[in-house]
Amino acid sequence: MAPQYKLTYFNLRARGELTRFIFAAAGVQYDDNRIEFSEWPALKEKTPMGQMPLLEADGKVVCQSGAIARYMARETGLGGKSSWEEAQVDMFVCGVDDLITKLCDAHFASDEAVKEERTKALGPYVSKFLDNYEKLCGPEGHLVGTSLTYADLAFFVGMHDIWQHRADALEKYPKLAKVAETVRDNEGVAAYIAERPETNI
Amino acid sequence: MPTYKLTYFNVRGRGELIRLLFAAGGIPYEDVRIEWDKWPELKSKTPMGQVPTLEVDGQLMICQSMAIARFVAREAGLLGKTSVDQARADMLLDGGMDLGKLFTEMVMEKDASKKAEKKKEFGEKSLPPFLALYEGFAGGNGYFVGDSLTWADIAFFNMMDFITAEYPSALDGYCNLNKVVDNVKTNPGVAKWLKERPVTDH
Repeated sequence: MAPQYKLTYFNLRARGELTRFIFAAAGVQYDDNRIEFSEWPALKEKTPMGQMPLLEADGKVVCQSGAIARYMARETGLGGKSSWEEAQVDMFVCGVDDLITKLCDAHFASDEAVKEERTKALGPYVSKFLDNYEKLCGPEGHLVGTSLTYADLAFFVGMHDIWQHRADALEKYPKLAKVAETVRDNEGVAAYIAERPETNI
Repeated sequence: MPTYKLTYFNVRGRGELIRLLFAAGGIPYEDVRIEWDKWPELKSKTPMGQVPTLEVDGQLMICQSMAIARFVAREAGLLGKTSVDQARADMLLDGGMDLGKLFTEMVMEKDASKKAEKKKEFGEKSLPPFLALYEGFAGGNGYFVGDSLTWADIAFFNMMDFITAEYPSALDGYCNLNKVVDNVKTNPGVAKWLKERPVTDH
């Protein structure tokens, strides 16, 4: 019998979206359990670390968005085809994580001066990020190897906020543009994007 | 057997977990430590302008310390026995990294009075709930996952190595966590490495 999966998170993209993309791309059914902020306090103490997202897989519970994404990628064959490919996939996903951290650190800074400084630093940081990824990217519309991995999905999800600012952000990056196209053209991803709720983050 | 070359600065920092995993796995590797003044010329030869990097057979190279650590843990058989075990180890490691980020922010604070404030806050508000939580995660046998050593134990040990330098009595009274630390320290490869490794400030 197929495993039962349930992903619990707020109705946000943020730290849940990559895993939702993995389920979508792999065509694997799951309960996309989006909870209201008001429901959270009661649930919080029942979670392993007082945080979400949470993944329940046949009764076992795991938290930490990175751990969840990697587990589902592995279970759905989107983790990389060899140990070394897995390491490369990890490398790209970690790099996207660094990018998202930089975006969040700028967006959520409470001190105005700090926020301004961090926001200014984003331009060069994003350019460097895209330069590096273009250099390392495979030629066939995939960051790693010759078929979809969750590195491609992580890159696509990470680009969301960059595209909000500049829809043509990948204009000078042909290999990365091809990765984005490959992800968009995936049947499961296309259906998910068409149906998903609109959220601020 | 592939040849491995790890390149990083002569610090523990983001390289030490990797070095501990090579040691625990009994995997030989070249531990290249570069001087700060050599970094600018090396930087452009790395995938993302950062170290540590891992080179395999002189040809393939990756960066990102956690990607490297996970790869070495996998090669050393220290990842976790099943897919769920591996997810659990990942979860515990990521939770540890959340704490590690706060700790690093405190250590790196340049303003002395802000640092003192952060140090008090970390020691009183962040560290105790984390240790209490992880005491529950650790088994009475001193392993976080299953019944044998995984990289979750080694990562915890490494992080506490840094933290107990600032808070020496942090682990007092935590029975299971002390067993985890013991299990790591008495692993033959790790024991040897701890004796031989260069002593660095961080």
